[in-house]
Amino acid sequence: MANAGTTDLSHENRRLEELGPALALKAQVVGGGALALAVIAGLILGFTGSAGFEAGLSQFFRSYILAIGYVSSIALGALIFVLLQHLTRAGWSVTVRRLAEVVCAAIPWLGILALPVLIPVWLGMEDVYPWTDIDAWDDQTGLLVQKAGYLNPTFFTIRMVLYFAIWSWLARYFYVRSVEQDNTGAELLTTEMQRLSAPGTLLFAITATFFAFDLLMSLTPHWFSTIFGVYFFAGGMVGFFSVLTLMMVYVQRNGRLASAINTEHYHDVGKFLFAFVVFWAYIAFSQYMLIWYANIPEETYWYQARQSTGWWIFVSLLLLFGHFVIPFLALISRFPKRHPKLLVFGALWMLVAHFVDLYYIVAPDANGWLQTGGAGPLHSGLLHLVTDIPAVIGIAGIYLSFVVKFAANHSLVPLRDPRLNEALAFHNF
Amino acid sequence: MATIPLEIDNTQDDPRHRAPLVTGDHDLGTLTETVSRVAEAPRAPLAWYVAFTISAGLTIMLGGLIGYLIMTGVGVWGVNNPVAWGFAIINFVFWVGIGHAGTLISAILFLFRQHWRTGINRFAEAMTIFAVICAGMFPGIHVGRAWLAYWMFPLPNQMAMWPQFRSPLLWDVFAVGTYFTVSLLFWYVGLIPDLATFRDRAKTRVKQIVYGIFALGWNGSMRHWHRYERAYLILAALATPLVLSVHSVVSFDFAVAQLPGWHTTIFPPYFVAGAIFSGFGMVVTLAVPARELFGLKHIITMRHLDNMNKIILATGSIVGYAYSIEFFIAWYGAIPEERFAFISRAFGPYAWAYWIMFSCNAFVPQLFWFRKIRTSIPAMFIISLLVNVGMWFERYVIVVTSLSSDFLPSSWGPYVPTWVDAAMLVGSFGLFFTFFLLFCRYLPMVAMAEVKAVMPHTLKRSAHGDGHAGGAA
Amino acid sequence: MSQTVAAPSAPARTRSDSETRLAGMLVSFEEPGPLMGAAARMKEAGYTRWDVHTPYPIHGLDTAMGVRPTILPWIVFVAGLTGALSGIFLQYWTNATDARNFTFLPTNLQGYDYLISGKPFYSFPANIPVIFELTVLFSALAAVFGMLALNGLPTFHRSLFRSRAFQRVTDDHFFVSVDASDPIFDESTTGGLLAELGGSDVMRVEEPVVQPGMPRWLMAAGVIFACVTLIPLVVIAKARVSKSTEPRIHIWQDMDNQPRYKGQMQNAAFADERAMRPTVVGTVARGDLDALGTDRHRLEGLVDDQWATVFPESLRVTSAFMERGRRQFGIFCAPCHGLDGRGNGAVPARNPDGGREGWAGWVQPTSLHDQSVRDRAVGHLFNSITNGIRTMPPYRDQIEPDDRWAIVAYIRALQKASQADWNEVPAAARQELERRSGKRGND
Repeated sequence: MANAGTTDLSHENRRLEELGPALALKAQVVGGGALALAVIAGLILGFTGSAGFEAGLSQFFRSYILAIGYVSSIALGALIFVLLQHLTRAGWSVTVRRLAEVVCAAIPWLGILALPVLIPVWLGMEDVYPWTDIDAWDDQTGLLVQKAGYLNPTFFTIRMVLYFAIWSWLARYFYVRSVEQDNTGAELLTTEMQRLSAPGTLLFAITATFFAFDLLMSLTPHWFSTIFGVYFFAGGMVGFFSVLTLMMVYVQRNGRLASAINTEHYHDVGKFLFAFVVFWAYIAFSQYMLIWYANIPEETYWYQARQSTGWWIFVSLLLLFGHFVIPFLALISRFPKRHPKLLVFGALWMLVAHFVDLYYIVAPDANGWLQTGGAGPLHSGLLHLVTDIPAVIGIAGIYLSFVVKFAANHSLVPLRDPRLNEALAFHNF
Repeated sequence: MATIPLEIDNTQDDPRHRAPLVTGDHDLGTLTETVSRVAEAPRAPLAWYVAFTISAGLTIMLGGLIGYLIMTGVGVWGVNNPVAWGFAIINFVFWVGIGHAGTLISAILFLFRQHWRTGINRFAEAMTIFAVICAGMFPGIHVGRAWLAYWMFPLPNQMAMWPQFRSPLLWDVFAVGTYFTVSLLFWYVGLIPDLATFRDRAKTRVKQIVYGIFALGWNGSMRHWHRYERAYLILAALATPLVLSVHSVVSFDFAVAQLPGWHTTIFPPYFVAGAIFSGFGMVVTLAVPARELFGLKHIITMRHLDNMNKIILATGSIVGYAYSIEFFIAWYGAIPEERFAFISRAFGPYAWAYWIMFSCNAFVPQLFWFRKIRTSIPAMFIISLLVNVGMWFERYVIVVTSLSSDFLPSSWGPYVPTWVDAAMLVGSFGLFFTFFLLFCRYLPMVAMAEVKAVMPHTLKRSAHGDGHAGGAA
Repeated sequence: MSQTVAAPSAPARTRSDSETRLAGMLVSFEEPGPLMGAAARMKEAGYTRWDVHTPYPIHGLDTAMGVRPTILPWIVFVAGLTGALSGIFLQYWTNATDARNFTFLPTNLQGYDYLISGKPFYSFPANIPVIFELTVLFSALAAVFGMLALNGLPTFHRSLFRSRAFQRVTDDHFFVSVDASDPIFDESTTGGLLAELGGSDVMRVEEPVVQPGMPRWLMAAGVIFACVTLIPLVVIAKARVSKSTEPRIHIWQDMDNQPRYKGQMQNAAFADERAMRPTVVGTVARGDLDALGTDRHRLEGLVDDQWATVFPESLRVTSAFMERGRRQFGIFCAPCHGLDGRGNGAVPARNPDGGREGWAGWVQPTSLHDQSVRDRAVGHLFNSITNGIRTMPPYRDQIEPDDRWAIVAYIRALQKASQADWNEVPAAARQELERRSGKRGND
C-alpha cells in the first residue's frame, strides 16, 4: 500500500564498497591482537600464579567460552530476528533486515572459532567443565555420574557440531535467498523464506536452549534451571539490537542507506531494545526469585556463590542496575529512541552490560566454592577480566571481519523485497 | 467505493499486498449498520435464547452450590490432605489463563501494529473480564470462611492484622485485582466511541439515556481523540507487562514451593504462553459461532481466524517446549524426587490426565501447520475446544499429581472430586456464557471506531493513508 | 464547548416554544480527504474555539490542527512512581517495622515484623510483584481518568448534540465545528469560510436562550434517596454505642456452635451411654506413670513422712535446670508473686480492691523473701506449689513435677540473691553492677 510518493532508493549508496576491506582488516588486526593477548595473559597467569600452570590455562579457556557465548548469543539474536521477521510477515524491518542477515551469515565461521572449546573438554580440564573428568573431580554427591549419559565429551562434541550445522544452514538459507532476490526480484523467494521461518524458529528454539545448557550451564554441572535457555536468548536479543543500532548508525554515518533508514526505524529498533531489556529483567527475576524463595541447596549455591564476596555482590548489583534499572529509565521515553546519538550510547552501554551478564555467568568458580563448603576462594573476579576482556574483543573482532566480508559484496538493503515500500513509508504514532 | 468481493479468500499470503481485513462491499456506514444491528434487533436469534436459558440455569445452579458450600464448608468438595487445592485452584488458574487473550490482543498486538486485532479485540476483551470474574470467584470461596475474604486486603483494623506480603497467594490478590481493573478500563475506554454510536442511533428514550450516560458525552472531537489515543497507547504499554506478570504470579503460587513438579524456573514464561494459548482457544471457540449467528463474517474474516490459529500453533509449541525442557531438567537435575514426580506424571496413576494434557496441548495444535485445517471452520472449532480441555488438564496434572505424591510416601493420598466439584466447574461456564451472551446482545461486539480506521476503504482514501502501513499481518 | 442544556442528547426535543440563539456553526464532510486542508485553513484563519469531529482517529490531523502534545504521559509517570513507592512503603510498613517503635499510632495503623519461612522481614525479591502491580494499577487509573479529565468528560450536554445531522459523527460523517463564543466568530465570514472547506452543508447550531432547569421530581427523588441511604449508617452508629443483654445476631457461625459432647451428656454409641469415657481398666495413660505415686520424694516432697530438705536424686541442679525454673516461674508464678518474688505481680497490682467497691479485693501474695518462707524445707515449698496454700490454687495439673522442683530451685536462688553479701557476687557481675549503678545513680 501507499506506493506513491515513497522514497526512491535508486540513487542511494547501498554498498559498503571501499569501506569493506578496510573495516575487515581493522577488525582482523584488533581481534587477532586481542586474542593473542588473551592467550599470553593466560600463559603468564599459568606460569606465575600460585595455583599452577593448569589454573592459568583453565582461566583462559573459561574466558574463551565466555567470548564464544557472547558473540554467538548476538549472532543467534540476528538469526532469530531474521526468522521472526519472515514469520510475522513484518513490513517495517525490511530496510534493516539485510544487516541482520549478514551478522548471522557468518555463523559457520563462528563454528570454527568455537572449536577450541573442545580442547578443555577432551583434555578433561575439570576446572573448566568438571564433568569432563568425573574421577578427578571430587564429587561427593555422585550427581555427575548420574548425568554422565548427557554430559560426556563425545556427546558434547556431537551436539556442538549439530548446533552450528543447523544454524549455518538456516542462516545461509535466508542469506542466499535474500541476496538472490536483489537480482531476480522473485516473490517466490519471500514465500520460500516465510515457509521455512516457522519450523526454523522451532529448530532454533531447541538448539539455542541446549546450546546454552551445554556451553554455559554445564560449567556448574550440579546446577540446573529450566529457564536458562530463555535467559540466554533474552540477553542475546539485547546484544543483537544493540549491535543492529550500531550497524545502522555506522553505515549511515558513512553515507550508506542515507534515506532507506529513517527515524522510524531507529524508533522501532529502540523499542525492541527497550522491550528486551525488560524481558531480560523479567526472565532474570523469575530465575532469581524462584531459586531464592524455594532455597533448595542444589540450586541456591549458584547464586550464593555470586553473593559471597564483595566483588561479586558488586557485579550482581552492576547487573541489576546496569542491565535493567538504568537502561529502563533511560529508554522508556520516546525521545532517545528517535535520536540515534543517544541510542548509540544506549547500545554501547547494553553491549557492556551484556558482557557483564556473561562474565557473571562464567567467571565465578561456584564449583570450587561448593566443594569447599562455601569457604573456598572464588576466582579473583578482577584477575579473570584480564583474560575475559581480550578474549571477547578478539572473538568479536574476528567475527566482525567475516561479517563485513558477507556485507561487502551486496546491497545493504534487500532492494527488491516486496515489502520494502512499506518499510520506507511507515510512521510510529 | 473500494469493492472487495464478498467471498474473497483473504488468507492468501501475497507479499506484495496486505490482505483486506474487512471483506464485502463495506463502507463506514454499512459497518456501523452491521455491528449495531445485532444490538438493535428487537429479537435475538433463537439460538441466543436457547444458549442464554441454559447458561442462566447453570449460573443459578452455581449460585445455589456456592450457598451450599458456604453453609456446609469446603468438605463438600473432594479436597483432602494432601491434595488441599483440588478443583477450586485448577479452575482459578484455568479461567485466569483464558482471560489472557483479551489483553494480549488489545495490548500486545496493538504495540506490534497488528491491525487484524481490531475485528476481534472487543469481544476478546469482554471475554477476559468475564473469565477473570469466574477466576476470582474460586479462591474467594476456597478460603472456607468466604465472609472473611477481605482479610486478604491491606485494610487497617482493630486486630492490627495485615496481609503477609511474602506469600505468593497474596501477590495473586494484587495481580488479579490489578488485571481485572486494567482490563475493565481498557475495555471501557475502547467502548466509549462505540457507545456514542449506539447513543446516536438509539430509537428509544431509555436506550438513549443509558448509552448516553456511558458514552460520557463523546462527540468525536479530534482534540479528544488526540488524548484518547495517547491514553490507549499508554494503557497498551502498561497492559503488556501486566499480562505477563499476572500468569507469572499465578505460576509463583506453585514454583516458589519445593514440591517436586512445582518448583522449576521456567514456570513463569511457560504459564504465560499456556494462558495465551488457552485464551486464543476460547476466542476461536466463541468467534466461530458468534460471527455466524450475528452476521459478522466480513468483519471477523477467515484471515482473523487463520491468524489466531497460527498463534495457537505458536503458543502450543512453546507449551510443548516447556513440557519437554521440564522433563529434561527433571532428569538432568538428578534429584530423585523430581525425577520420580515426572515419571509418575507420565506413567503413574494420573497418566491418563497427563496424556490428555500432552496430546491436546502439544500434539493437536500441530494440525494447524496445514492451511486447510487452519481455515476449516469445523476443524478449528474442535481443536479450539480440545485446546481448552488440554489446558484444564494441564492445571489438573500440576495440582493433583504433585500434591498427591510428594517427598514422603507415607503422606501420599489420591484425589477424587465430588459431584459438587464437577457441577461448580460446569456452573462457572454457565456464569461466563451468561455474561458473554448479555454482552453480545447489548453492547457493540466489534470495535467499530477501530475497524473503521483499518478498513480497505479508509486506508485507500484516508487523508494520511500511509499512517499505519506497519504490519497488517 | 459552550453552554449546556438540560435535554440529554435529544435533538428531537429541540423546543421551538422558547427563543433560540446561535451556538455555533458546523460543516459536514462525507470523506476524510479534505479534512487536512480544512484543518490547516481553520488554524490559519486564527480560530481558537473550533474542532474537527471524526468517527475514528485520523493520524496527523491533530498536528494539522495545531493540537499540542498532551501532558498525559507525565501524569501517568507521576502516578506510576506514586504506585511504586506506595507498594514499597506498604509492604515495608506492614511486614517489617517494629510496632513497639510506633505505639503513638492507633493500633489499626501499626505494622509489625513477623517471621515467615525464614525469610528476612524485609524481603525485597518477594515484594517486587506487589510493587509492580501497584505501579501498573496507579498508572492505568491515571491514564484513563487523566484522559477523561483533560478531555472534560463526562459532559452530557453540548449544543452540538442539538443538530440532528451531527449524530452521524459517530457513524460515517466528518465535521468541522466552530463555537459561537470564539473571539473572531462572525456568522457570515465564518459561514463563508466553512463553505469553502470542501464539505457539503454548512449548518447553524441553535440552542434555547432559556436553559430549562432540573426537573422537580428528580430533585425530590435525589433527596429521598440520600436520606434512605443514611438509615443503615444510623443503625450501625447506634449499635456501636448501646448495650444489649441479647446475644448478638449470629450470621456467620464461624464454627462457634459446633455439635459436640460435653461431660455428662448421653451418647448412644456406647453401651453405657456415657459420652465421657472412663479409662480402660488395668491401663495407665501415656505419661501418667507418675500417677501411681511410687516416688514420694519427687512427687510429694516427702521423705519418711517429713518434708524433704534436699532435691530428689533423679534431678541435678544445673544452670540449665535453674534456667528452666526461671522460665516456669516467669510463666506461672510471676503474675502474682512478681518477677522478683516480693508479691507485687501484675495481678494484685492491677486489682488491689477487686476492681469495685464492696469487694474484698485480691489478697497480696506472700513475699517469697519472708523469713517463714525461707525457713521452709524444699519439700514443703514443693507441696505448696503442688497442692496450693491458703488462696493460692494447686498447680499440679499445670506444671510437671520436675518443673515444680525447678521452680523451687529458682525460688531458693531468688532468696539467696535478695540477701547476698557484696563479696559473694562474682567479680564479673560485680563490675557490671557497679557500671550500671554508676550510670543510673542510686539504682
